Amino acid sequence: MRECVLTDMERAGAFEDAERTFQMTEEAFRVFYEQTARPVWVYLARTTGDDRLADDLLQETYYRFLRARTAFDSDDHRRHYLFRIATNLVRDQWRRARTDAVDLGEAAEVPETSEDNDRALGRIDLTRALEQLKPRERSLLWLAYAQGFSHEEIASQLGLRTGSLKALLFRARRRLISVLGDRYRSGGRRG
Amino acid sequence: MADHSCVYEHDVVAVVLSHRWDRANDELKQHAADCEVCRDVVAVARLLSADQEHARYEVHVPAAGQVWWRAAVRARLEAAHAVDRPLTWLHGIAGACAVGVACAAIGMAWPSLREMASWFTFEAFGADSRMADVAAFVTAAMQRSLPLAFVVAACLVLAPVALYFALTDD
Repeated sequence: MRECVLTDMERAGAFEDAERTFQMTEEAFRVFYEQTARPVWVYLARTTGDDRLADDLLQETYYRFLRARTAFDSDDHRRHYLFRIATNLVRDQWRRARTDAVDLGEAAEVPETSEDNDRALGRIDLTRALEQLKPRERSLLWLAYAQGFSHEEIASQLGLRTGSLKALLFRARRRLISVLGDRYRSGGRRG
Repeated sequence: MADHSCVYEHDVVAVVLSHRWDRANDELKQHAADCEVCRDVVAVARLLSADQEHARYEVHVPAAGQVWWRAAVRARLEAAHAVDRPLTWLHGIAGACAVGVACAAIGMAWPSLREMASWFTFEAFGADSRMADVAAFVTAAMQRSLPLAFVVAACLVLAPVALYFALTDD
């Protein structure tokens, strides 16, 4: 975004304009954001493999969400729409063929206990494994098994038929497991 | 297709994501143990949901107020640009009109200019044969250089317009 300096009056004007332009009030937005920001950020970070890009895309996701002229009939519908925007942004990134290296900085921090150590290693393994999947496979897996969206919801988000989605999801699952190794098969944790 | 998915898949995912897999009913657990699809689903869902759960506590996202403020400022800037856009078009159209008017004016004035040049050379250098030759050459050059004059006039008008568009922010 372009850098700009605003006076207090302009700032106040910006908020008034925003109230008129955006589809929800600031208070309602705060509540919705607290509920959804972290899951959306993790989704963006895991599917792009870039934490900084995830920060930018998070802002863009909420901006587009606020500007949307859609009538939502439930919180689930709102959340589904938010993830659809995030998915579209991630897809735009794939199209631009941006292949930045995965930032392992946070995951690679030295843990204090052996349990933390085990978990941290698990996260690094997962990050590396996801890196080896295709971007669409990452999205599919995350939406299905971290967000719990139904096949129909994911198919609509990614513009796929449900039948094709099931096959793609199956392949993505097998690939992730084969990349991680058999120790993850029993219960999904390092053994 | 039957190999790719299982009718219990969504139930299995729902139980895993609600952190109740260890307390899930035996029937579902037994099914997951026997069904290759659900076995993989349990493994992947536990892994991804654990990662998400970890991130829920450790990831630092910007404050809601900050995201709202940035969005508000951006909305305002975009609104200002939307207002500016017709003005930019208006400037372009005005520039194009100015080029047209300049070309028309030169075209209309050109015969008079040529006559004036002929009259001036005849009056000023009529007696001097060398100077008359020079004047005749200049007059002939002017007659042939009408297209060039158009181009020069067009450049004079278009250059500032092009510069304006090049330096204007989007």
